[in-house]
Parts: sequence; structure tokens; C-alpha cells
Amino acid sequence: MRVSPDLMNHPPLVRWRPPLARRLAPCPLMPSINPADLFRDDRVHRAVYVDPEVFALEQDRVFRTAWLYAGHESQVPSAGDYAKVMLGPDEVLLVRESNGSLAMLHNRCPHRGSCLVGEPRGHLARFRCPYHAWTFGLDGHLIGVPMSDGYSGELDLRDPALQLTRVARVESYRGFIFASHAASGPSLQDFLGSLASALDNMVDRAPAGTLTQAGGTLRMAYRGNWKLFMENATDLVHPSVVHESSVAAARTHREALGADPQTAQTLQMLLSNGLGMPQWAEVPLHADPHGHVYMGGFYKSGVIAPARTDPVFERYRAALLERHGETETARILGVDRFNNLIWPNLSVNARFGVLRQVQPVSVNHTVISSTCFRFDGAPDEMFDLTLQFLNTASSASSMVASDDLEIFERCQRGLEASVDPWIDIRRGRAGDSRAADGSVAAPGTSELPIRNQLQAWLSHMQAGPRGTTAR
Amino acid sequence: MNDTAALPFELERRLTRFVFEEARLLDERRFADWLSLFAPEGLYWVPSEPGQISPTDTLSLFCERKPLLAVRIERLTHPNHFAQQPVTRTHHHVSGVLAQRSSQPGIDFEIHASLIVAESRADDQRWYAGRTTHQLRTNPTGCPQPFEIMLKRVDLINCDAPHRILAVPF
Repeated sequence: MRVSPDLMNHPPLVRWRPPLARRLAPCPLMPSINPADLFRDDRVHRAVYVDPEVFALEQDRVFRTAWLYAGHESQVPSAGDYAKVMLGPDEVLLVRESNGSLAMLHNRCPHRGSCLVGEPRGHLARFRCPYHAWTFGLDGHLIGVPMSDGYSGELDLRDPALQLTRVARVESYRGFIFASHAASGPSLQDFLGSLASALDNMVDRAPAGTLTQAGGTLRMAYRGNWKLFMENATDLVHPSVVHESSVAAARTHREALGADPQTAQTLQMLLSNGLGMPQWAEVPLHADPHGHVYMGGFYKSGVIAPARTDPVFERYRAALLERHGETETARILGVDRFNNLIWPNLSVNARFGVLRQVQPVSVNHTVISSTCFRFDGAPDEMFDLTLQFLNTASSASSMVASDDLEIFERCQRGLEASVDPWIDIRRGRAGDSRAADGSVAAPGTSELPIRNQLQAWLSHMQAGPRGTTAR
Repeated sequence: MNDTAALPFELERRLTRFVFEEARLLDERRFADWLSLFAPEGLYWVPSEPGQISPTDTLSLFCERKPLLAVRIERLTHPNHFAQQPVTRTHHHVSGVLAQRSSQPGIDFEIHASLIVAESRADDQRWYAGRTTHQLRTNPTGCPQPFEIMLKRVDLINCDAPHRILAVPF
């Protein structure tokens, strides 16, 4: 199970695929793993992070059932635009059809299985398989097959098995597209629950009421399990320990950085990791029944970002006032939640217009993909801070994230050792307070987010596959 | 716009030597000396997209002016910089150096070179390849270096790929 040392930094990337037997029998009668044996409210088994069998089951039961973020409408504005997206273990295409609606199609020719497009994004009138030139419309319907006389009249272009496979469920929530490989299950709105408000807040912050994805993508990789990133994102005991070196260096250069508005935000981000435990404890954690988590009250003491009164921000505020009025503008700008985690694999930061998505590659290999948005109608300069936020927080060179990635890799190596298999996740358990709607609140130093994410994980792992991909 | 006319031999030799020595300081982990080559407003920039036009409309792998670069350099020697336990050893191979005069305001010379970096840490060796662009101005004080870096830009051929920790500048 140990990761072999890399010969190169980017070895041929072997993305996990379900074993053939599991694909043929999507409901294994007797899986060798009982997920309930791996997690209790006070502890989790190391197999959850290092066992390829657990990972295989997760791909079926979590990533082929849950709603997953699949892109933004602004990525495909015109008919014929497409973007390649990883939807759980599968490569799919987000396509703008001729009639303006959205399609999500597997990037796979039903003839011999070749991927249809190679570029990450582009524009085309129809899909043409590069292998035998089968052609398909933007909605995935089969248009033509060369050598059709070779089928002696047996080939029916309308045969459902010969169309591009559509992802079972696709829904847009205020421009954010989510998709699920499962034909049935909770609606997107039910699934998002209280976390829909994080997406609302990002859209509301755009004076024109819409967002445009811009600025490209940053991807960072680590040799560790995907859950380590999600569990760390709301762990507020780690920052002053893991990020000690950047806190110390930032303190030394505090004056030089604070004088320049271009670096003041980065300085604040670096310094905030040096807050003491009592201050972190004051950050309220909120856990939602579907496994989602967020941190509230995050900007109150200027954590992460200084309060802004500069001319650019005042122009931005004026544009918001024009659209929303005084009261609503104050409410929108007052939402101070950070790292809104939509389980299983999305982190939303509304204030900066930023999404970070966790892409599991294999049990011990994960890619974090970060994208950002322009607030339509806002001064162009507002986007500078969005880029700075991601450059500082989500580049592989980040003075913050690089130490997190190092810790994830150390956790993975440590957990591969077959000593005590149990990981303790009790911190703050006595402080959990449950509300009538099933949500749980706790102080910032609690391990509630880890327990909550694993609870959602367990309920998916026990439920089994919810359905197969529709045609 | 750059003046492609040949530079006087001695000047070209000094500019080329500057680029070689800049890389050597990184390999020898003399980070404070490396930082001192930058002008106060100098920028170290590694784009995230091939042919990226600007650091202010697109994300970057690194985008730091001297004050922020100073934080990075200071952190590299902190005893609890966990991503540097053990430290990263680098080897910069710089070749194909082409120095030109620049007509850009505030820039005297622009130098293009080919770069291959081998990086080794904890039994793990990685390779990076790309091109560098140095924009230099003559140091008004002439001391300690004859030139100051206004921009060091590194265009990696895999700039848009997922990257593992990038601790040491290219």
C-alpha cells in the first residue's frame, strides 16, 4: 500500500477505475468492507484514508451518487461551447446546445469507447469521434456512422445504446452547475440545504447579479487521500502550528507589506494563521446534515482580509447600493462565512468569488482545482484581490498551502503504517449543540467538521449505489 | 520592443554572467543574496498559462514583488518550515542566453534563456523545463551588482498542470 517514490514529478497519471467485476455488478452482494466498522463518533479507522478497496467503494457510493459541482454557466456562453470536466471518476463534457440549454455528456464514443475531444475546452458544431468518425449532435444524438451498410440494416441511428451517454441529473443553481451520476436521490436544493446561501451570497455580491468565471485555474497535487484536504479546511487548531514559519516571516516584514494595499491582504492572510486558540474558539462552526460545514464570524476581527474603505471598494459598494439598496447591501457584505464546504468536495469563498474543488485521483493522490469569478458590474480592480487571494492560498507555491500539503503527505505516510489503526476525532465533542433542523453548532476548535463529514460519508457508503447512469 | 542589434561583447558577457550567477545563488541556497538582485519594485512571476499576458487578469504560480518575496525567502530558512524538512536541493541548467537592449521605459536590457531545473527532496526527484525572461535595469548605484532585476519571468512548459509543492523559486 506504500506509495512508491516518484521517478518524475508527474508520473503517468493512473486514474482509478472500478474493477471490471464491480462494473458488471454495480450492486456487489457481499462487499468485503463494512463501512460501519470503520467510523464511530469518536474515532475513524485508517483504512478510510489508505485502503484502495475503500476508495473503490467510495467512487461508487459517494462520487457516483452525490451532487458534484460540474462547472459554471459562463464557461459555455454560446451554442457549441464545451468544457471538459471530471465528474467523480468520469470525464464528462459540459456543452451548450443549439437551443441554449445545457447538456452534460460522457466524453466517450459508444462505438469503441474513444474519448471524443482532447482539448480541455473549445467550440464545435458537432462531435466527431477521432477513431471511426461517428458523428453526434451537441445534445449527444447520433447523426451518422460511416460504412453503415456494413451493419446489414441492423443499425438504427435512434438506438438509445448508440447515443452519447448523458449524465443522469444536471441542475443549475444560480449559474453553478451541479450533476449527479445517480438517477434518483435528493433534489439539488435539498442536498445543498443551508449551504445554498453561500452560493447565493457570491452571486449577490455581483452588482449586475451574475458571475463570470475568469482568470484560469490553479491546480495543486498531493500524495494523500482526498478527505485530508476537506477535513483540514475547517480545522482551526492547526493554523498556528502548521503555518508557524509564514506567520513568523510575515511578522518580520509587517510594516513593508502593510503599507502597500497590493500586499496588505496577503499580509493579513499570513498573519491571521497566528491567532491564538481563544480567538479561533470564537469562530462558530456550523455543520449541516448532508455533511456540509462552514465557519462563521470569520472577518469580524479582520481575519483573512482587512476591512476596506478605499476608492475602488467605495465604487463597488455604490454599484451594489444601486441594485440592492442600503439594508440589503449591508446584509450581503456582512456575510462573513469562510470555507463553506459543500460535501463531498467543494469549498466556496463567496467574498472573494472563489471555488476550490477536491478531485480524488487514487486513494493516495489528490488534485485541488481552484477557479474564480468576476463580479459582473463591479470595478475591474476588484478582481485583483480575487487573483491575489488564490495566488496566495491555492498555488502549489503558496506560503500557506504548501505546509498543508506537506502535512497531508505526512499523514498519508503515517497512516500507511500498520500500528494502532484508530484515529481520534473526539475534540470538542461535548460542545456540540444540535438545532431542531438537524444542524450542529460548535466552537471553532472543535473536530465537529470531521465527524460531520464522516457521518455523511458513512450514510452514503451504507446506502449503496442509488442508480446507474441514464441514457 | 527590443533592439535585436548585437551588444558589445563585453556588455553581453556581463549580462549573461548575471543570469548564470542569479541561478547559482538559488542552487547554493543563498536566498538573501538572490533577493538582493531585485530592484525594490522588482517582480518574480511564474504564469499559470502558456503565453499569459498579465499577472492581473489570470492566476499565477508565483507573483511576488520584492517585499513579499522577502517573506518567502525568510520563511525558507525557518526551522519549522515543514515543507523544507528535509530541504529541497535544486540544480538550474541555464543555456541559450540571448541578451538584448530594451526600449521599454525603465528597462535597459531583456534577456531570454532556456531553463531546466532538477529538484531533489526526500528521495523524490522532479524536473521542470521552460524559458526565462529577465528584464534588468542598470543599478543606479552600481553596487553591489551592476544590474537590478525588474522582472524575472519563468514560463514552464507544464505551467497549467497540477503541481506538487513548489518551495524554492525557479
